Amino acid sequence: MKILVPFKSVPDPNDATVPGEAGSATKSVINPFDEIAIEEALRIRERGDAGEIVGVTIGAPAVDEQIRAALAMGIDRAIRIDDSRALDPYAVARILHALIEKEVPHIVIMGKQAVDDDSNQVGQTLAALLRWPQATFVSKIEFLDNKTRARCTRETDGGLEVIAIELPALITTDLRLNEPRYASLPALMRARRKSIEVLTCDDLRVAVRPLTTVLSIVRPPKRPAGARVDSVEELIAKLRREAKVL
Amino acid sequence: MDFAWSDQQRELLDAVGRFASQQLNYNMIENDRNGVFNHDAWKKCGGFGIQGLLVPAEYGGLGMHPLTAVAALERLGYACRDNGLLFSINAHMWTAITPLVYSGSETQKKKYLPGLCDGTLIGGNAMSEPNSGSDAFSLATTAVKKGPKYILNGSKIFVTNGPVADLLVVFATVDKARGANGVSAFLVEKDSPGMTVARKLEKMGLRTSPMAEIFFENCEVPEENLLGKEGAGGSQFTGAMTWERGCILASAVGSMQRSLETCVRYAKERRQFGQPIGKFQLVATKLVDMKLRVESARHMLYHYAWLRGQGKSAYLEAAMTKLHISDCWVKCCEDAIQIHGGYGYMTEYEFERELRDAIGSKLYSGTSEMQRNIIASLLL
Amino acid sequence: MVETLVLIEHVRRCVKCSSLHGITLARQLGGDYALLILGQGLDEIAASLVSYGASAVIVADDPALTEPLADRYATVIAEAARKHDSRTVLGTSSTFSKDVLPRAAALLDVPMVSDVLAIEEKNGSTSYRRPVNAGSMLATVKLEGDRRVLTARATAFEAPAADAAACPIERFEFDVASLPKGMEFISREQRISGRPDLTEAAVVVCGGRPLKDRETFERLVGGLADALGGAVGATRAAVDAGMAPNDYQVGQTGKVIAPQLYIGIGISGAIQHLAGIKDSRVIVAINKDPDAPIFQVATYGLVGDLHQIVPQFIDALRRG
Repeated sequence: MKILVPFKSVPDPNDATVPGEAGSATKSVINPFDEIAIEEALRIRERGDAGEIVGVTIGAPAVDEQIRAALAMGIDRAIRIDDSRALDPYAVARILHALIEKEVPHIVIMGKQAVDDDSNQVGQTLAALLRWPQATFVSKIEFLDNKTRARCTRETDGGLEVIAIELPALITTDLRLNEPRYASLPALMRARRKSIEVLTCDDLRVAVRPLTTVLSIVRPPKRPAGARVDSVEELIAKLRREAKVL
Repeated sequence: MDFAWSDQQRELLDAVGRFASQQLNYNMIENDRNGVFNHDAWKKCGGFGIQGLLVPAEYGGLGMHPLTAVAALERLGYACRDNGLLFSINAHMWTAITPLVYSGSETQKKKYLPGLCDGTLIGGNAMSEPNSGSDAFSLATTAVKKGPKYILNGSKIFVTNGPVADLLVVFATVDKARGANGVSAFLVEKDSPGMTVARKLEKMGLRTSPMAEIFFENCEVPEENLLGKEGAGGSQFTGAMTWERGCILASAVGSMQRSLETCVRYAKERRQFGQPIGKFQLVATKLVDMKLRVESARHMLYHYAWLRGQGKSAYLEAAMTKLHISDCWVKCCEDAIQIHGGYGYMTEYEFERELRDAIGSKLYSGTSEMQRNIIASLLL
Repeated sequence: MVETLVLIEHVRRCVKCSSLHGITLARQLGGDYALLILGQGLDEIAASLVSYGASAVIVADDPALTEPLADRYATVIAEAARKHDSRTVLGTSSTFSKDVLPRAAALLDVPMVSDVLAIEEKNGSTSYRRPVNAGSMLATVKLEGDRRVLTARATAFEAPAADAAACPIERFEFDVASLPKGMEFISREQRISGRPDLTEAAVVVCGGRPLKDRETFERLVGGLADALGGAVGATRAAVDAGMAPNDYQVGQTGKVIAPQLYIGIGISGAIQHLAGIKDSRVIVAINKDPDAPIFQVATYGLVGDLHQIVPQFIDALRRG
């Protein structure tokens, strides 16, 4: 069974690992949810349920660092679709669709959302284009009936939901699916020697434009810090008389 | 002279930082209070590649350039707050692995190095004795050859990793009359008959690094466990020490950097008398001094490592690096406490532990006084 | 022809109130709007929706839609949008709408904007404000073309008044046989509690890791919530430590809430959690660390030991 894991390079949401006084550049990492997807693919292969794991990302050569990190974790092959445009979920899904027609995986596992854009659309869009079943926000995957179906537990607003989907299918990962392994230094050094297949949209015969334009990104207005209270009594009094929420 | 890291070095260093920050900081205050060694973290470091940074790849290491290796240890110190764990790893790297790499036979290297690199074996050395510390070669532990075995008798103190070590490099004399030329090194496996790991020693700092006193009472060591030749122990020790002195405080540079950043953030946020405390000169001066210490410590460290990469012995630079970084580290820790005021004194904020950990650095691997002796002897 | 379709959610035979806030966005977008519900046995729910000023309540009612399976739902939603020539399909953000609407958007071949907080019309073009980077930044985006799918943060739009004249209920016919059948519902673990829904409650009390264990969490956080008639939430750390179930999680990757009153107990205020509570009208923080970031955003902050303060709080409230 071939597993395809699309992943995205995003700014590190947790920048406490690089010494940085004022003005230091932001680091990029594999989108944490996609890392979980890679980890799940690795575990499926370690259980003996998968053959090849292929990772794919869209971006400029700078994202090769994240691709090497994925190879160091243990995926078999990596593809970079060379495109440095600012894309939106609409375009990303259609580019990935073209790649999937070429690679023909049995299952696509990817993060539910990218922690920079937070749109949570690409997986579902891609599933629709493929006309495949989808399981989103998944916290557990089991294969059934000789891997023709998968039983997925999903994290929803109302609690946990269990569905069964026919393969091929697309799964998006939620936080509690697993804890990704870290790649060792030897693995990272070996990954440098692995080759990355670079394709263009032309190679995939897909021509798509993003339909979303970002006009601005600003910090939200800073909320004024409020008052300190010294006791429960004072708090209750203020909530009643000042804020009028009690 | 190129002061920039290559892309590959940057990638490796960032990976070290991420690994350390996510995997090695656990239950710090409680483990320090109870003197708990984080064996799990040790194994993770082994699997990640830390212990084997400088070991040739054919024996399970990464064969890294010394400069990249010390930068990796520095980043480890930045992202990992368990100074005790790092001290144990360093003791293992410089006192067990290094002598093996330089003086071990093929058989010995193949037998022990892979396990010492991948985290499955813990190593250390036993040199100091109750009556010989700085005067290392006046040691009294004896090794007498009897047939195919050496019989060791004596006691060792301050054996870092002693309580948990699988392998110790034990220094003993085969002939007291020869003085330093009689000192020999032996690879002694744990549970060797006649070897007793006695009481666990409680320390001021580095409490998550286990240390013990060890007794050898007719301890039998097979002759194939002699490291190199009889009488070579002195030069083996000195050789390993030159690595240890230069490298053991690499992670301290990272710790100081982290401390500096924490203090700068605090000085900007903490307000007293209507302004951030960083605006008060007495606080700002401390930050300036911390910054100067971090930078100068780092430069000495890198220069030393670069010289080693060039094949130089860097005996002088090793002593200067060790002396300077230890001085800087202790002073940085004191300043960090001072800047944080009352909070700096609280266990919860971890600054007091940093200071307790740092004070050891002026004592181990040769006291600051010994480093000064060495430097003076090379200058005059 | 209906300008906008507003997807309304229902759970356990009741309308999910927060999904009604999508109507407010529909009104802002202009033109007429219809409410769309999918499921099985929807007569009562449909009847409860007729006074929201919609041109119709469109009901897709069939056993095949008993459970919200994304492939079926997206197909029906897309068909409904096509049949009514709707330019916009929208719903409030929820795991349901996020599961289903992007799929519908793909079937309609239109772009989608997630988590809309506000819209602005300028020179005939619409721009949308939405949170990015865990809500630490606000992006303003515009779309090409005049068709779109949107999800909107319920907390950013007012609850609509239900004071319009009753609108017709329209049964939406679709070809059941041609619905995709690759997905099957197995089970759901619903937690029935007397407390209000976390995303809808006017008061939410959240607990963090310092609550130590499930029993203490329930006693203190649950106790205070019950004394206030509110809902219980938790940080990711607390959920991961087993103190609270996953549907209590509030934050960037959990629920986003904006109650009238939010009380954070033993919560430091990591950015991922703050992303889920920033729009609360009043934020109260109880924490022993005076430098905890949550005090930067708290309307009222009380520094001290929660194990002392919370029981006092509960007690004072009970005494009235």
